[in-house]
Amino acid sequence: MSQPSLARLHEAHKHFGKIAALDGFSFEVNRGELVSLLGRNGAGKSTAISLLLGLQRPDRGAVSLFGEEPQSIDARRRIGVMMQETNLPAVMRPRELIAQVASYYPFPYDVSAVIERLSLQELADRPYGKLSGGQKRQVQFAMAIVGRPELLFLDEPTVGLDTHARGALWRVVRELLHEGCSIVLTTHYIEEAEALANRVSVISHGRLVAHGTVDEIRAHVSRKNILCRTSLGAGELKSWPEVLQLSVESGRQHIVTQDAEAVLRRLLAADAEVRDIEVQRAGLGEAFTEITSSNAASPDDAATGNSGRVQ
Amino acid sequence: MNLGSTQMSQSRVIAAYLGDIRFELVKMIRTPAFAIPTLLFPLMFYVLFGVFMGSARGNAQFALYALAGYGVFGTMAPGLFGFGVSLAFERELGTLTYRQALPMPAGSYLLARMATAMVFVGISTMILLVVAATAGHVPITFGQALHLLLVNILGVLPFCAIGLFIGALVSGQAAPAVVNLIYLPMAFLSGVWFPIEGMSKALHQLAPLWPAHHLVQLGLGVVGAPTVGSTANHVAALAGVTVLFYSLAMRRLSNRGFQLLGAAREGRIAMPLRRVFTVGLMSIAIGLIIAGVMGGNAPQARANTAATSKGATDGNSATAATDAAAPSGAPVGVAAPEVPLIADFDQGSERSRYGLGWQAGGDDMRGGSSKASQHLANGGAHQSRAALEVTGEVGTAIQYPFAGTSFLPNGTENADFGKQGYMDYSAKSTLSFQVRGDGQTYTVMLMGPRLDVIPSMYGFVATADWQEIRVPLKDLSGLDLQRVRLISIGTSTPGPFRFQIDDVRVD
Repeated sequence: MSQPSLARLHEAHKHFGKIAALDGFSFEVNRGELVSLLGRNGAGKSTAISLLLGLQRPDRGAVSLFGEEPQSIDARRRIGVMMQETNLPAVMRPRELIAQVASYYPFPYDVSAVIERLSLQELADRPYGKLSGGQKRQVQFAMAIVGRPELLFLDEPTVGLDTHARGALWRVVRELLHEGCSIVLTTHYIEEAEALANRVSVISHGRLVAHGTVDEIRAHVSRKNILCRTSLGAGELKSWPEVLQLSVESGRQHIVTQDAEAVLRRLLAADAEVRDIEVQRAGLGEAFTEITSSNAASPDDAATGNSGRVQ
Repeated sequence: MNLGSTQMSQSRVIAAYLGDIRFELVKMIRTPAFAIPTLLFPLMFYVLFGVFMGSARGNAQFALYALAGYGVFGTMAPGLFGFGVSLAFERELGTLTYRQALPMPAGSYLLARMATAMVFVGISTMILLVVAATAGHVPITFGQALHLLLVNILGVLPFCAIGLFIGALVSGQAAPAVVNLIYLPMAFLSGVWFPIEGMSKALHQLAPLWPAHHLVQLGLGVVGAPTVGSTANHVAALAGVTVLFYSLAMRRLSNRGFQLLGAAREGRIAMPLRRVFTVGLMSIAIGLIIAGVMGGNAPQARANTAATSKGATDGNSATAATDAAAPSGAPVGVAAPEVPLIADFDQGSERSRYGLGWQAGGDDMRGGSSKASQHLANGGAHQSRAALEVTGEVGTAIQYPFAGTSFLPNGTENADFGKQGYMDYSAKSTLSFQVRGDGQTYTVMLMGPRLDVIPSMYGFVATADWQEIRVPLKDLSGLDLQRVRLISIGTSTPGPFRFQIDDVRVD
């Protein structure tokens, strides 16, 4: 295929009334990568996804799926979808639900093979309505992948799953990636993005505020954590202008700083006895927190809170 | 990976459509709250009101009416509930959004639900037809049954459209209540359960406003019961309702971001042009509805059974017959059922298939002394099980004595003779029956609206062997075929008599 990106939003604007759910948001997915779209509730994640799925149209800007309009059935035959809130007919059985979705695709996987791959044999012939929340999510995941998609949209796929089921789902996601499938993952669990994503895009107030590999995003954040054992008093450490936060964890001081080198120099100079020094870069979670909070220019999150959801 | 593997074979697309229909059908069958009321309520009501109470009243005409009425009752529910309630829930709970994200073939969502509604209607109408033909003794031909089935199956479309509109408009919680608020009053006001002519003039006049009224009238036409409004009126009104509500529903859904027909690609048709198209379509729909509603209650000179099934030539001959018979001004009778048989006495009863009869009687009401009685006799014509035997004696107390057995084609029990209804036999030409007897001369007598004129008569001799008597109705003098009140077979010859009849028909 010649087109570089499978799905692309370019300078997309979407307003709901006076509220801008997307305010010039750009985003793209390339072949074979897992891109995680991170953002707080109401940041515009779901609106961005629903534009890519063709459920809504942007007020301005461009959307494309496999180089076509997302409404095109040809484009949609190449994607698989797992949405956040999906109610399926309670009287139908998972096998029937999966088979129905499979029938929409040109070259789907064998339904029984998908059921086995996700270890759903035991619940495949029970009414969907009798399944637990986590089991329902697994069935929805099966429905998303059964069409042999080139691009898979997963919106909060592991909510309600126990750790075992979550691990199994992650394993299949990695396998799919390995087989060449591209994935867009929206999630609240930062560690999920950290574990799976090649790239991360962070959205805040309808705008792209950061994007790159997980490492790049982490590096984006200048904060570092310094752990050490020192005889210096908390009052003294706190008085240093470079120290942003100070806490004590199991006898070790935990210093958060923008300028680790300066703090280390001062620390070594002030306390020759300092031991167990460890310097950590910020995790993705902290990076996310910092990126999104520094972007929280206007605190009217409540207003955007509703508009960002798929209507 | 199958890169560029989006070409879907034709057969897989068709399989997807069929799969969706099957999926929807299975889903609805497994939903008792939908399947049970939809299939069982019309049957229960029909058995209760049409069969038991109908036959208790000796009124086969009501069993006929109820067949059309409860057929419509069973047609409204799958359309209104299948679309109204389930669409509202699926819209609200996100199911519809999810379905739209899938590469479902265009329009499959609507098609599957429509086909499901049609299957449910087909089943409920078929059950009614079987019960009507067996337990209800409703005279209906196989052709009429198929015709009624077709009318109801297509007749679900306006209710699907109304359901779609409700489903597009209200929340899932409110939908069942809203649907019931429309379903039940409309059924009542449209005469689905029983004719509303007798109840209130105002309600009667408003009836054409309700779509179900038009479908009931079409059904009545098919089974050969009296109707109001022409077939064209009813079809126009129903088509208009379908198009109007469908367009309104699609507009509403599209405003809410749902494209049930699949991708409406931007730019393919210019927006103003599309608007003109929609407005045009809706105007036509409203025009059709107005045309249908205006004529929806017009009294019909003739029930449109024969007209619709037999074509124009029949209509012409009927008009000619009317002119020749010099109409009396009284309203035309109920259209005669298409089925020729009036009675064959093989069901262990002296009752006729419709109307009131047979009843033995003399001329005592006119002050005469002639008497007659009747009973079922074993061994009818053509080795059938039984025949009706009439015996009695004609007296000479009055000038025109008569005794025999009588049949009121549109009669009601315990009503004065002068108030008995008429039947319109203008689509028929021959009254025939098997007869045998004591070799005397007998008379077939037909009476119309006027009681003060000599009835139309046809004489014959009842020999010891079964023979068929054929009365050419159109040649009988003074007979108004559109208003036949009474058919009698008996004698005016003084003295004792004895004869048997079997297989009475009007063809």
